[in-house]
Amino acid sequence: MNKAYIIEHGILEQYLLGELTADEQIQVDRVLNLDADLKHEFDILETNFEKMAFENAINPPKEVKANLMQNIKTSESKIIRLQKTSPFKTYLYIASGIAACFLIGWFWMFAQLNISEKKLQLVEEQNQLLLKDIEGLTNNLEYTSKYFEIVNSPDTEQYILSGNDLAPNSKVVSYVNHKSKSVVINTKELPKLDAEHDYQMWADVDGVMIDMGVINKETDLLAMNYIDKAESLNITIEPAGGNDHPTVSRLVTNVYL
Amino acid sequence: MQNENALIFKIQNKDEAALSELYDNYSPALYGVIIRMCKDEQHAQNLLQDTFMTIWNKAHQYNPEKGKFYTWAYRIAKNKTLNFLRKRKNLIQSEDLSVHTNKEDNITIEPDYLQLNGCLKQLDLHHQKAIELVYFKGLTHREAHKEMDVPLGTFKSYIKQALKKLQFSYDKTIVWLLIFIEIIK
Repeated sequence: MNKAYIIEHGILEQYLLGELTADEQIQVDRVLNLDADLKHEFDILETNFEKMAFENAINPPKEVKANLMQNIKTSESKIIRLQKTSPFKTYLYIASGIAACFLIGWFWMFAQLNISEKKLQLVEEQNQLLLKDIEGLTNNLEYTSKYFEIVNSPDTEQYILSGNDLAPNSKVVSYVNHKSKSVVINTKELPKLDAEHDYQMWADVDGVMIDMGVINKETDLLAMNYIDKAESLNITIEPAGGNDHPTVSRLVTNVYL
Repeated sequence: MQNENALIFKIQNKDEAALSELYDNYSPALYGVIIRMCKDEQHAQNLLQDTFMTIWNKAHQYNPEKGKFYTWAYRIAKNKTLNFLRKRKNLIQSEDLSVHTNKEDNITIEPDYLQLNGCLKQLDLHHQKAIELVYFKGLTHREAHKEMDVPLGTFKSYIKQALKKLQFSYDKTIVWLLIFIEIIK
């Protein structure tokens, strides 16, 4: 299709009116693009066509426009609604959901951390108490084992110191081991003294009273100083902290070895 | 032209005010074509609304380099009206073949307001008729030359001569307009 053919066969008019097939239309498009004169002619044709249409215009009733504007609003609002619910907002919901989960999780973990710290502190305290207990028990065990060893040894001899008139119900058991040179006494049945007085133990060596030590009020079983060649064991009541010489008038019990 | 393209651009971006303005500018011209083709006010109004719905939804398909907006809109309006007439004709024919014939459909008395106006009235009757058939009745050149009972070549030359005369009278109008403007000044 060329320019001459288009002009001769009145193709431009048919092109304008949309009477051509799609294929013919493309061909005319191509020629119009290349040929400025023909394009100019088509422009005039179009302009006149439009003028003719405006000269023959008829006003449509106002309702048509009102309906149209209403229709585009509803069709448009549908589209917008679809767009608004699509990706962006959905992602926003998902993101805020995840953020909320993180926040709640963080609070929860923080609370858990606090609880755990408190528990740990408690455990540490208990642990320390237990350690102290163990220490105490170990000490006790050592202490007891030591006495047990002394008391249970076949070389140990047992002497009972029964109370005299000053302390009729008192009774002290003494274990003397001459081999290992040790003395252990059990003071469980010795009457309690006030704070200003203590029991003190003495060994009689050739008529001289030698100090074996002050009896500790706190324990029942205790070791005393071993004195060589002792003939008897004696217990007196002395001022608190002990005395250099025994107060014989306050002798409560004695036993001969 | 600039203004018109700006309007189309706005419509492509779904600007309702732009559509409203475009409707005010073009709906009477398009309605003039539609109602002359279908000769039924109610249907013509529906078709006009339908045409503008298509313009609204398919504005992005319009290419200003290929022609004026009115030409594009006219083609939409014409196709919609022809489709409607074809459907209605098929419906009537399938309903009762004996009563309605094409001839009867064609013999209709046109109300005064459908008469053609403007420079067209200055043309010879056969030129007027040729223009009316293809521009306002939506007939193709092939249909129209049979309608006028002249060979296709003759019909095409009618159209050409008619358009030339129109061109001449439009130019004359512009000259008169220019003189008028000069006088006012």
